[in-house]
Amino acid sequence: MFPTQDEISAWLPDLLGGLSISLQVTGLSLLIGIPFGLVLALGVLAKNRLLKGVSLFLVEVGRGAPALVLLQFIYFGLPSTGLTLSSFSAAIIALAWNTGAYTSEIIRASLQSVALGQREAAEALGLSRFDELRYVLLPQGLRVALPALLGFSILIFQGTSLCFTIALPELVSRAYEIGSTTFRYFPALLAAGVLYAAISIPAAFLVNHVEKRAGLYAQR
Amino acid sequence: MSAADLLPLLRGLTWTVALTAGAFLIGAVLGVPLLAARQSRLWPLRFLAMTAIQIVRAIPPILWLFIIFFGLGMGVMPISPFNAALMGLGLIAAANMAEIYRGAVASIHFGQWEASAALDLGRWSIFRDIIAPQAFRVALPSAASYLIGLMKETAVASTIGVAELAYQGNQLSQLTFRGLEVFALVGLFYVLLSLPIAWLSRVADGYLRAKVAR
Amino acid sequence: MDGAILYLREDDRLHGRVQPAMMPASTDVLIRLKSLSKHYGTHIVLDGIDLDVRSGEVLAIIGPSGSGKSTLLRCINYLEPPDGGIITIGSMTIDAARPVARAELSGLRRRVGMVFQSFNLFPHMSVLRNVSLAQERVLGRSRAEADERSMQLLKRVGLADKAGQFPVRCSGGQQQRIAIARSLALDPEIMLFDEPTSALDPELGLEVLAVMRELAETGMTMIVVTHEMGFAENVSDTVMIMADGHIVEKGPSKDVMRNPQQERTKRFLRAVHDR
Ligand SMILES: Nc1ncnc2c1ncn2[C@@H]1O[C@H](COP(=O)(O)OP(=O)(O)O)[C@@H](O)[C@H]1O
Ligand SMILES: [Mg+2]
Repeated sequence: MFPTQDEISAWLPDLLGGLSISLQVTGLSLLIGIPFGLVLALGVLAKNRLLKGVSLFLVEVGRGAPALVLLQFIYFGLPSTGLTLSSFSAAIIALAWNTGAYTSEIIRASLQSVALGQREAAEALGLSRFDELRYVLLPQGLRVALPALLGFSILIFQGTSLCFTIALPELVSRAYEIGSTTFRYFPALLAAGVLYAAISIPAAFLVNHVEKRAGLYAQR
Repeated sequence: MSAADLLPLLRGLTWTVALTAGAFLIGAVLGVPLLAARQSRLWPLRFLAMTAIQIVRAIPPILWLFIIFFGLGMGVMPISPFNAALMGLGLIAAANMAEIYRGAVASIHFGQWEASAALDLGRWSIFRDIIAPQAFRVALPSAASYLIGLMKETAVASTIGVAELAYQGNQLSQLTFRGLEVFALVGLFYVLLSLPIAWLSRVADGYLRAKVAR
Repeated sequence: MDGAILYLREDDRLHGRVQPAMMPASTDVLIRLKSLSKHYGTHIVLDGIDLDVRSGEVLAIIGPSGSGKSTLLRCINYLEPPDGGIITIGSMTIDAARPVARAELSGLRRRVGMVFQSFNLFPHMSVLRNVSLAQERVLGRSRAEADERSMQLLKRVGLADKAGQFPVRCSGGQQQRIAIARSLALDPEIMLFDEPTSALDPELGLEVLAVMRELAETGMTMIVVTHEMGFAENVSDTVMIMADGHIVEKGPSKDVMRNPQQERTKRFLRAVHDR
């Protein structure tokens, strides 16, 4: 059932290579997706109808469709328009879209919770809308949003496993490949599971910790 | 793409619904004993349940499905794709529902426990008459949004060959070379599926709220 | 308050078969606490409380916040297990130093009713169901029996017309009266009240106090933690002042309220009057 010592040393480089790709995709998706989420949040809150409509559409589709379908839409669907992407780029675009859609909701809710008390104060000071956003709402809003954003990051890390379906050699693909060549599916997949857990569980504890501290901050 | 192409997608839709409903049912039921174990007075049981929940949630659904379908299916006992998916997603749903229940139970004011204890209601009565009905109401919106998330999660079952919506979309796109339209349509179907759940949840919530506030 | 000792069954009193005027507190002790103690960490909250309460006696407990009044009540019915001491209620004795059996705990909780500052009604049940539930689950009454008894009790607290409503639709004062009916439904021998009017506007507090006064007149044994000086002086038989987990002073209510002996009591009463 379990991988032997020899198997572990034979598979580990391969699995770690897969994990590294998973982490790269996670990092890049968040790096692009969270600013995109901020843009979408502002777009949804905008007065301009067109801007609002487009933002809402991107958010609803990015959240409403499964990440797996977004991935396949971009990797298998876009080529028919003449745009063929590598699996790595397709993964990042799809997951960044997914990230943007979810985080825009997180950020919007945080901005609105801050705006409730601060908007009048900022207006009383005569700040312009832009300055109000930049100096008052954003710094506080992002702080409120931080725990939820971190929590979502873990989900995106797990979501990279979907890239198996577009032949990106990330962690699940590597484990599956080892399984199919050695017919030692269970130990290989188990090893991948351990690697996921080794990152997700400490990360979950970290998020929990940040959440508690943020809770204390909010109470004060 | 023609109207006939829609047929497989509709067939896929029914499997998506079946898988979602089955996994959710398993999760909603198993989540209760899992929560009971997690809140147990015996620390080994508590620790075990907590660890199990952590581990289940730490591993991506697709990997769970592979572990069950390829890992167990090839090694221990053969298992059909649908059953493997049902098992894997049911397991994940149980862990998540246990956490949703836990949040709901924690939100109940401690005065409810005290009043129940002072009235000498036994443990079972406190659970059945006082805590469970109130927790159910609190858990309803989170459970509904989890159900929608789970519905989207079932798309991973396509990777082990369950002929649900995403699987049918994949087949159709290979057949017609119209990936763009097909996947857009598949995405739309998922969005459409989530609408009645969201609507039902709002209606149920409103009804329960109105009932208490009558 | 001495006089002929009347031996009555609880339901004689509850059903008003005995005239209030005939109901002096008897001299037999119903509750006896012997060196009851409780601490949280190093903080001693109850420092060896000795207390006798006679059958039919109404005891008011007053004292500054944090002095251990709530903890004392909660220890009496074991919502908070005491660390040591002995609780005797009628024929039942519980040694807090030993673990209590489930059956003992059950017996204790049935004899002792409790009313909380925050009412703690069950919000998802109708008022009637709130009062009936424990009768069915604990006393094994049928639904019909329980509902009939509940209606009697709701009538007694003046809320029969609210039976079908949910608690949120009742005012705070009404909710507290329902909570009293709910406790009485188990036919307790003793009622504990933990600041039953503190969460209420004064005029709503009055309707609760009126119900409590009636209950006292039927001969119920009551221990009432309260800030209502009027109730302490006029309704209760005995007043006890607590501070820092100790009993500072205890005596007939008029004596203690009008002519306190202890410096600590005088200070407390002055502080209350100046408010
Ligand atoms: N669960 C608890 N844990 C720690 N300390 C407590 C707890 N409950 C009460 N205390 C402390 O015990 C003391 C007495 O509390 P309490 O009986 O509620 O006082 P009172 O009802 O007279 O205001 C207070 O100092 C309070 O802080
Ligand atoms: Mg108190």
